[in-house]
Amino acid sequence: MPEIRVTPLGAGQDVGRSCILVSISGKNVMLDCGMHMGYNDDRRFPDFSYITQSGRLTDFLDCVIISHFHLDHCGALPYFSEMVGYDGPIYMTHPTQAICPILLEDYRKIAVDKKGEANFFTSQMIKDCMKKVVAVHLHQTVQVDDELEIKAYYAGHVLGAAMFQIKVGSESVVYTGDYNMTPDRHLGAAWIDKCRPNLLITESTYATTIRDSKRCRERDFLKKVHETVERGGKVLIPVFALGRAQELCILLETFWERMNLKVPIYFSTGLTEKANHYYKLFITWTNQKIRKTFVQRNMFEFKHIKAFDRTFADNPGPMVVFATPGMLHAGQSLQIFRKWAGNEKNMVIMPGYCVQGTVGHKILSGQRKLEMEGRQVLEVKMQVEYMSFSAHADAKGIMQLVGQAEPESVLLVHGEAKKMEFLRQKIEQEFRVSCYMPANGETVTLPTSPSIPVGISLGLLKREMVQGLLPEAKKPRLLHGTLVMKDSSFRLVSSEQALKELGLAEHQLRFTCRVHLQDTRKEQETALRVYSHLKSTLKDHCVQHLPDGSVTVESILIQAAAHSEDPGTKVLLVSWTYQDEELGSFLTALLKNGLPQAPS
Amino acid sequence: MDPECSKLLPALCAVLADPRQLVADDTCLEKLLDWFKTVMETESSLHLLQDHPCLMELLSHVLKTQDVSPRVLSFVLRLVGIFAAQEDCFQYLQGELLLGLFGETGALSWTAWNMPSVRSGWIQGLCSLAHHPSALHFLADSGAVDTIFALQGDPSLFVASAASQLLVHILALAMQGGASGSPISEAAAWPICAQKIVNHVEESLHSKATPQVTQALNVLTTTFGRCHSPWTGVLWGRLSPPVACLFERDPIPAVHSLMDLLLSVARSHVLNFAACGLWEMLAQTLSRLSPTQAGPLALGTLKLQHCPQELRTQAFGVLLQPLACILKATTQAPGPPGLLDGTAGSSLTVDALLSSKSACVGLLCQTLAHLEELQMLPQCPCPWPQVPLLGATVTILRLCDGSVDPSSSMGGRLCGTLGGCVRVQRAALDFLGTLSQGTSPLELVLEVFAVLLKTLESPESSPTVLKKAFQATLRWLQNSHKTPNCSDLSPDALLFLGELFPILQKRLCSPCWEVRDSALEFLTHLIRHWGGQADFREALHSSEVPTLARQLLQDPESYVRASAVGTAGQLSSRGLQATSASPENPLAQQGLLMDLMHILSTDSEGFPRRAVLRVFTEWLRDGHADVIRDTEWFVATVLQAVSRDLDWEVRMQGLELAQVFLIQAMGQPSLHCPYTVGLPEATSPRPHPEFLQTLCRLPLFEFAFCALLDCDRPVAQKACDLLLFLRDKTTHCSGPQEAGDSPNSASVEAVLQRWREGEQGQPLGDLEPEAMLAILRSLDLEGLQGKLAKSSDHVEKSPQSLLQDMLATVGILEENEADCY
Repeated sequence: MPEIRVTPLGAGQDVGRSCILVSISGKNVMLDCGMHMGYNDDRRFPDFSYITQSGRLTDFLDCVIISHFHLDHCGALPYFSEMVGYDGPIYMTHPTQAICPILLEDYRKIAVDKKGEANFFTSQMIKDCMKKVVAVHLHQTVQVDDELEIKAYYAGHVLGAAMFQIKVGSESVVYTGDYNMTPDRHLGAAWIDKCRPNLLITESTYATTIRDSKRCRERDFLKKVHETVERGGKVLIPVFALGRAQELCILLETFWERMNLKVPIYFSTGLTEKANHYYKLFITWTNQKIRKTFVQRNMFEFKHIKAFDRTFADNPGPMVVFATPGMLHAGQSLQIFRKWAGNEKNMVIMPGYCVQGTVGHKILSGQRKLEMEGRQVLEVKMQVEYMSFSAHADAKGIMQLVGQAEPESVLLVHGEAKKMEFLRQKIEQEFRVSCYMPANGETVTLPTSPSIPVGISLGLLKREMVQGLLPEAKKPRLLHGTLVMKDSSFRLVSSEQALKELGLAEHQLRFTCRVHLQDTRKEQETALRVYSHLKSTLKDHCVQHLPDGSVTVESILIQAAAHSEDPGTKVLLVSWTYQDEELGSFLTALLKNGLPQAPS
Repeated sequence: MDPECSKLLPALCAVLADPRQLVADDTCLEKLLDWFKTVMETESSLHLLQDHPCLMELLSHVLKTQDVSPRVLSFVLRLVGIFAAQEDCFQYLQGELLLGLFGETGALSWTAWNMPSVRSGWIQGLCSLAHHPSALHFLADSGAVDTIFALQGDPSLFVASAASQLLVHILALAMQGGASGSPISEAAAWPICAQKIVNHVEESLHSKATPQVTQALNVLTTTFGRCHSPWTGVLWGRLSPPVACLFERDPIPAVHSLMDLLLSVARSHVLNFAACGLWEMLAQTLSRLSPTQAGPLALGTLKLQHCPQELRTQAFGVLLQPLACILKATTQAPGPPGLLDGTAGSSLTVDALLSSKSACVGLLCQTLAHLEELQMLPQCPCPWPQVPLLGATVTILRLCDGSVDPSSSMGGRLCGTLGGCVRVQRAALDFLGTLSQGTSPLELVLEVFAVLLKTLESPESSPTVLKKAFQATLRWLQNSHKTPNCSDLSPDALLFLGELFPILQKRLCSPCWEVRDSALEFLTHLIRHWGGQADFREALHSSEVPTLARQLLQDPESYVRASAVGTAGQLSSRGLQATSASPENPLAQQGLLMDLMHILSTDSEGFPRRAVLRVFTEWLRDGHADVIRDTEWFVATVLQAVSRDLDWEVRMQGLELAQVFLIQAMGQPSLHCPYTVGLPEATSPRPHPEFLQTLCRLPLFEFAFCALLDCDRPVAQKACDLLLFLRDKTTHCSGPQEAGDSPNSASVEAVLQRWREGEQGQPLGDLEPEAMLAILRSLDLEGLQGKLAKSSDHVEKSPQSLLQDMLATVGILEENEADCY
């Protein structure tokens, strides 16, 4: 039985590190290879030892597909390819290929800086890993090998994010990665055609949420920044190298322009130029508005946002600084935070999730006295704000995508169990398809029905036509024939032709069934009652009562006999040929309901 | 447990027991368990429980109500296991609690048992607990072992695997207790728990259901891998007959697990293999399996320390078969000696190669990888059939590039199957590189060079194939030395280079950055190895390669720019600069120095800037002409650029360069830079006061001093090491009068004050050497070094921080939690 097997090693009922193994028609694909930033030991990577118990990874896996550049989707890739030893192809879109190494490098630097870790992948490993990448275009069908093909669809979420269709023969799986069904300031909405996959694996981060208006959040953010700089305060926005930072930059740049503000905005680590470069290069991946205005003005060439110098943090007066890393756990952003934390006029805005142990997590959870190195206590007087700008589809968006793709079944990943359960029920009710939500390490197996082309004989078709039934495109029709499987081909022919072709003799096969009736009368009388009942019920059929007492309806033969043990019961022996299978079943059911009371 | 954590623990236990409270980050509970494990390593768990009644309250609450979330349930099961690992604490908990959690009426009956995390917690809890004889009795009496048997077939891979591991753990524990007296030669006399497990394994081996057989085999494989006591011999004696019976089934069930078991048993030190019939079993298996299945077993067999020669030959034959088939199918008779000549060709292998493209590709890739691994092992078979293997590998590459003229119908089909197959090409190139270690006849070496050239030249070659072709080429060039001077290139290699450079030229202009980068990396290696050899220099000079490499300093891709910096640095070090035919032309060299300086101060990405510093440091160490022309200017300019850099690794490398300068300038040959010994500067130290002036003027001291406060720990650490070195050297050299009052103590104090306040980036102003020495003496560099040696997050990572964070997140909006990245 052909089947599709899905085993999440990560993202099964969690949002930690996406890594999903899919086996489809004997081909094995790994979807995403993410890391968990909440751990600083081996637990940060998926446990790859479960991929194959024997043999080499490169022989087992046909390819790895990366949906987008966020570290929870690609962070373990250099470890997997350069340290665990996978040497096969890795597929991702062109922007992901360009931006992925920047984020990996950014994270490597933070990890090595902060922890002084030696057993971490190196810059060279990131580069060697990226050399194994095969970049794909949107909607381009890429042949991984003779049988396996993949195709990328636009996913929104971040620049270059894609959903992937994986196809082997007639079987297919769509993996959404993270996606957004509503356009934002620089990206469009996710889109997929009605590809009707056997399985849709979708993220479900906001499985139960209908997101509040994006405009409101943006207005709030701008208001807070504006108020702070107006009163002479400094605003720190810790961000990761690329992604959300660009969205916020556009937001501030536009606002500064509109309000004619002069307060300086800085971006640390020289990433603005890099971001510019990539957003220019991949302008086709942005939304329509950005593409349209690009000719007059490139949205990513910021007039108000300048490169940060380390000495600027001590400058007097208001300013806004974007600094890495995003969780305030090391480096530049932490240093600026330490300098500014003591002044209540200042503000820090955390635009994303922070893992436990980081200063970002501490201040977001309301801690205001932080123990720093050397038992110094840092009192946080500055304002702390959390502003979510993550671009995931909400419950409505997920349902919309399921409706668009029309899958045979759905599998939820990248979400919390409770919320998934709610969405699972909703999907099953609304779309009448099975919906799964495996935990990490659990395998979901889906039997599939491969579509096999079958030829039909002209003779058989003509016979159908003679019966006056003209074919209709949208109406399925039942057609009887004999399926001949010969030389790897399938043909449907009339049974006579099949017998002739295969040189076989015909055998008569009869199906039999016993029906027990409560009737104290003699067998002949019971048979007569059966005859009368059937005669009145089956007006279009030829019902006969034969001299030997048996009753026939077409090829169906009914005989009444006494029960060996119970004289009050009669046994009806019903038999029929396969041609009258339907009628036989109907009659049996009818007789099982009993006979009408005889008029007294 | 430290008092601060003790204070926080009750509140945390209350939060965990409260089903309305969400534990915000699922990593927290993991870290909490890590912490408890650490505490238990040094403290008595019984005392801990007695001193912290909140812990018992939490456990009892969970036992009674089970209304907490599955993740807290799982946590509690694991926590109890950690506590009960100590026997006295186990006794303390044994009554209601342990049975209530791990017994049949415990976790198994909870609704949350459906969650794999709870089942996993149950197993891990038991695994921690099973460390003493009392635990064994508990496991036997509570029915837990039967549950573990059932969990071996759990739908979750993690749970199933953990269950098997736990069985092995229990078996080993039971036998460890039982084996304290005389060795138990009869399995019937084993402890009850052990007997139960062995009976279950035996029963499973007889099962008709493959999953059950697989589970039993996995348990045995782990047992023989972990346990090396004499009882394992008894175990194998009992279970080898049912294992042998598995081979009689058709098809053989759980082949991979079976192979793993045989190899695991064969690696055991305690078994008498000859007596237990293992070799026969291995031989039988090798002959029965398909070539693809037998490959890993053959490799595993060849890796065994003690293995009969006959079996080794058979195993090696399995690995050689596919390549023998390739040779046979493509060699014109009478050809050179093939592989396995004289033995009957395996029809199974031929079938596998011809059955389908994926089967053929899979078998060849696996075989090539196995042979590559084997050649590098000490157990590599001897004699190694270098010539036919090389012939076969070259043939495979030719089948891939379509240049083989097939001599048989099979050859023709292989041509069709392998033509343009990137996977096989990559595997073959990897193996080809490894084969360079052996000795090969000249004509075959020439064939290797020819096929490498063809691959490097072919427009069809993918970037990954090209990278591997470059790597293989480098290995062949390194190993093809036939001249008396081993480091020189052979004449054939030189001829090859003549053809290679034009191809390299093309590859340096490739539209793919991966190809340009691999080509540059390859070129850098070439220059490093043979840059001093006249013939090589001539061949290189007669090509456009140096010019093109130099042009790539402006490549749009930063990886390529960084590699180009490395190449240009090597070229220049060897006097092979691009723009002039005369190596003595100083202008061209100066041009490169300025180009690199420009990259260092303007490139938007870190890789090229870091590459420049690597080159500069090497130049400084090696006494590069441009650097020694005006070393002070060079160091000052570099440090100025580096001090502004936002990439901490650049700043750290700047300190590395400063250290090399210091060592050289002080005439101290260092272990790190052996080349300085031979340099005139290194052997003639400057007069001390003048040298100190230089340090102030550069300003190297200021750079290192400011870096002490760098926001990135490794930079501060490096700066601290550098200043300690400087202080030690200057103290040693300076007279007692210099240690006294300095004339400008006020300015020194001002500097130190600013430093203590953590102000960074403020210039120190004109500093006199005496002031510098005074500052050096006043800094507690040892103390700072100690602080910096800890990871920068040791405060945040502390258990106190964890407990505070967990408590602080209570009541925080759930929204934050889901909003991941």
